[in-house]
Amino acid sequence: MNGLLNWILWSPIVGLIALLVIPKGNDNAIRWTALVSTAFTFILTLVLYAKFDQSIPGMQPDFLVKMPWIEQFHIFYSLGIDGISLPMTILNGLLFFLCVPASWTVEKNIKGYFALILMLQSTVFGVFFSLDFFLFYVYWEVMLIPMFFLIGVWGGENREYAAVKFFLYTFFGSIVMLVGIIALYYATGKGVDSFNILAMHGGKFSDLQVNIFGHDFSFEKLFFWAMFLGFAIKVPVFPFHTWLPHAHVQAPTAVSVILAGVLLKMGTYGFLRFSFPIFPAASVEYSGIIGTLGLISVIYGALCAMAQDDIKKLIAYSSVSHMGFVMMGLSAMTTTGMNGAVLQMFNHGTSTAMMFLLIGVLYERSHHRWIVRPDGSKGFGGLYTQMPKYSIIFIIGMFASMGLPGLSGFISEALIFLGIYAKFTTMTVLALIGLLLGAAYLLWAFKRMFFGEVAESVKEYDDMNLREVAYMLPLCAAVIVFGIFPAPILNIMKASVGQLVDLLAKY
Amino acid sequence: MLDILKISVQMYLPELICVGLMCLLLVAEAMHKDEGTDRSKIYILATAGLLATACALMMNLHIKPTLGFYNAVVIDQFSTLIKLILVFGTLGSLWLSKSSNDIYSDLKSEFVVLAIGTLIGGMLLASANNMLTVYLGIEILSILSYVMTSLKREDSTSTEAGMKYALYGGLTAGIMLFGMSHIYGLLGSIQFTELAPKIASVQGTDLVFLMAAFLLFFAGLGYKISAFPFHMWSPDVYQGAPIPVTAFFAIVPKMAGIAVLIRFSNLFFSVSSPLSTVWIGLLHIVAALTMTVGNVTAIGQDSVKRLLAFSSIGHVGMMILGIVVLDEVGTRAILYYGMAYLFMTLVAFWITSVLNDTYGTDSQAIFRGLIHRHPSMAIMMTVVLFSLAGMPPFSGFVAKFNILSVVIEKKYYGLAFIAAINSVIGLYYYMKLIKEMVFSKPESTEMVPGFTDGTRVLVVALTLPVLFMGIFWEGLMSLSGGAKLFIQ
Repeated sequence: MNGLLNWILWSPIVGLIALLVIPKGNDNAIRWTALVSTAFTFILTLVLYAKFDQSIPGMQPDFLVKMPWIEQFHIFYSLGIDGISLPMTILNGLLFFLCVPASWTVEKNIKGYFALILMLQSTVFGVFFSLDFFLFYVYWEVMLIPMFFLIGVWGGENREYAAVKFFLYTFFGSIVMLVGIIALYYATGKGVDSFNILAMHGGKFSDLQVNIFGHDFSFEKLFFWAMFLGFAIKVPVFPFHTWLPHAHVQAPTAVSVILAGVLLKMGTYGFLRFSFPIFPAASVEYSGIIGTLGLISVIYGALCAMAQDDIKKLIAYSSVSHMGFVMMGLSAMTTTGMNGAVLQMFNHGTSTAMMFLLIGVLYERSHHRWIVRPDGSKGFGGLYTQMPKYSIIFIIGMFASMGLPGLSGFISEALIFLGIYAKFTTMTVLALIGLLLGAAYLLWAFKRMFFGEVAESVKEYDDMNLREVAYMLPLCAAVIVFGIFPAPILNIMKASVGQLVDLLAKY
Repeated sequence: MLDILKISVQMYLPELICVGLMCLLLVAEAMHKDEGTDRSKIYILATAGLLATACALMMNLHIKPTLGFYNAVVIDQFSTLIKLILVFGTLGSLWLSKSSNDIYSDLKSEFVVLAIGTLIGGMLLASANNMLTVYLGIEILSILSYVMTSLKREDSTSTEAGMKYALYGGLTAGIMLFGMSHIYGLLGSIQFTELAPKIASVQGTDLVFLMAAFLLFFAGLGYKISAFPFHMWSPDVYQGAPIPVTAFFAIVPKMAGIAVLIRFSNLFFSVSSPLSTVWIGLLHIVAALTMTVGNVTAIGQDSVKRLLAFSSIGHVGMMILGIVVLDEVGTRAILYYGMAYLFMTLVAFWITSVLNDTYGTDSQAIFRGLIHRHPSMAIMMTVVLFSLAGMPPFSGFVAKFNILSVVIEKKYYGLAFIAAINSVIGLYYYMKLIKEMVFSKPESTEMVPGFTDGTRVLVVALTLPVLFMGIFWEGLMSLSGGAKLFIQ
């Protein structure tokens, strides 16, 4: 089973190569190749789940891959998986698999589109698998290239601005992180483990000092913030969230799904894998700031969402709000809170993917996304009467993302609140307002779009076709099943999260 | 005496091949005049000669570092590697000039001769071991460069650029010579190896004068590598000169100047002394400002040649960071940077040249919608621009990574953060060009005529290293890691 991670990582690339040799014009062949490739990858991630040993807290020894890459610098091609990265891996496999049928109607340069999608999938896997800091950084950065082109070429009207802003913002965060990575390389003594992420875990850098222009700083604190910047921009946490609404609104449907579903999770994953275990003392010291920023994101994101007239922008801001919950869960540094946070990462991935897919379905019919048009008239109305199937699925997705009991969002949010209550009581109470606001903006938008008289334009819309229902069903199942029975996911992460919490408890 | 000459001549074989080649080309050119505008024989001859030089250099890679011609030059692995970069840079620009329309076809053979002459100056600089050799090298490099800049003699920007270059060059060369004479006056020698131990014993007011003299010396070098504040000439010269000449300037004189700066700094200032503190401080400031000024000014440029000129100023600033640390690791990082930069620059200029020939301008507008009009060209340009911006998995990233890592090893975190910010600024203007190529709709759907078959192969061959050097860079790093400076 040693090569399974390699298989998962490289099978999208194989798909990409297969896709590139298909001559131009065979659009269906290209679509099916992409579908087969992503389906195969998704099955592999399920195999990985089946073979996963839930009792091991750290990296699964069966799946470790380690090969020298640049021996002079002790850079390794080193992959591994544990209970924190496995849910993300499955999510990544699932969402890309669903994105291909959701992109069936893309007409513009199909070959380039699916090639970039597959490249993106491979790099995202790379980010979650890497156990070598250099390798991680390469994947983290390369990922920007397909995203840049996917938003910039296939996006909406203002796509160029959105693509450039997204790229520059993330690049800025990551280059500061690169300085941190190199500093860690020297702090560990340039030895054989100096790019090895696992070897850095455990708070080995708390006594070091650095001098910048004559001022002394604590190494741990300085580079905690350097990494924080890189990850916080990715999450994104207030005040670094400004790239997100643009990127989301301009991106094509499938790319929005991937952006909200997996790419944002790379930021919080970064905290779990890098910031917290490598700089535990600083993380504990600044957990108040992390939590507060999370809280501000929750409330501010919800208020922004409420003010939007564009349904896609509304969901984009709701992502800011929901990722704020994850940040709050992380700041708790308790088993319950952290488990809640990782579960919320997964659940937000499924529920927000549903919302973006649904908006995509609607957009294909309406070619606009206004809840209220700029001139004040209603954009939609009476969708419920016109498109019943669509409405039911929308309701499921909406309630899941609102956190209604019985659906997935509720459990993770409840765990986060339970975990954080003892430590930051006021914050918990304030965050409940965010939850309330979340219900308000979603229900209000739902009322304006789905109820009332059927608007003239809406009468022409067809209900969801078979393809659309087909790619929505797995997500519906996920939000319902994991809302009632979250154990499958909680069990795989439990040991790994527990190990991290134990480490943090020492500081 | 004969022995010394014999050894010197032997190890100086690459340069001698170049000199012979230059003479041969002059004769061949004169005999060739009547045969119309076809210059392919000249190019074949030049290519063969340069490849022979490269082979001779490769053989030199393994010899023990030696001094030649009574200590006037030093041959070590470092100088040999720099010379290889220079030779391949020259070769690349020569082939670019063959297909370019920017050089009048009846002047192409003159360009070949001039470029090889300039290369000889650059090679002299790379192994210079005394002040006069440095001066000689800089002058050979400069005087031929002035002529090359003005090769488009009916174009007013070209002649203006040549004039500017000559005035600037003359002034800084004078300042440099003034500085050298002070160094000689204070220390009584022009040999680098003899000077180095004497510097430590300088005391009192002499120290101040010596520092001033070094600053004056730096002016001459700073001008050649277009470091701030001596960079003013370079955008105008880059824009005015024909594109193959610009590509040549972006590589050969810069790398040669940097080679001297590396040798000079490492020889004189790697031991701790008040002078070293000042010199390192100076390099700090020069590096930070060169990067920042180059990158910030590049943002507003519409002319792609100017943009690449400013971006190359930014890259020089990055390379100076490798000198600031004053050790072998820094030198290794610069050598790798130089190799990566060579390929990226050649491809960027080559594609600009092809488009410039088609549209008669080098404004960013000619790149609009290139992906629809010539996909492969657009993809290669995109790769190269991402690489210049320092994105993995391309060679530019590894180059940037190495430079950052030597700076951080010395704990110059401030400089590292400045370099990081600069690379974001750099990304912005490279991305603007990529945006123009890939996102924008072309004004006409007409395809770009593109490459002739031969050049297509060459450009692809130059682009592939940009990718491979970003993934498999261990071999090149060990090669440049062995390039120790010869210090007696």
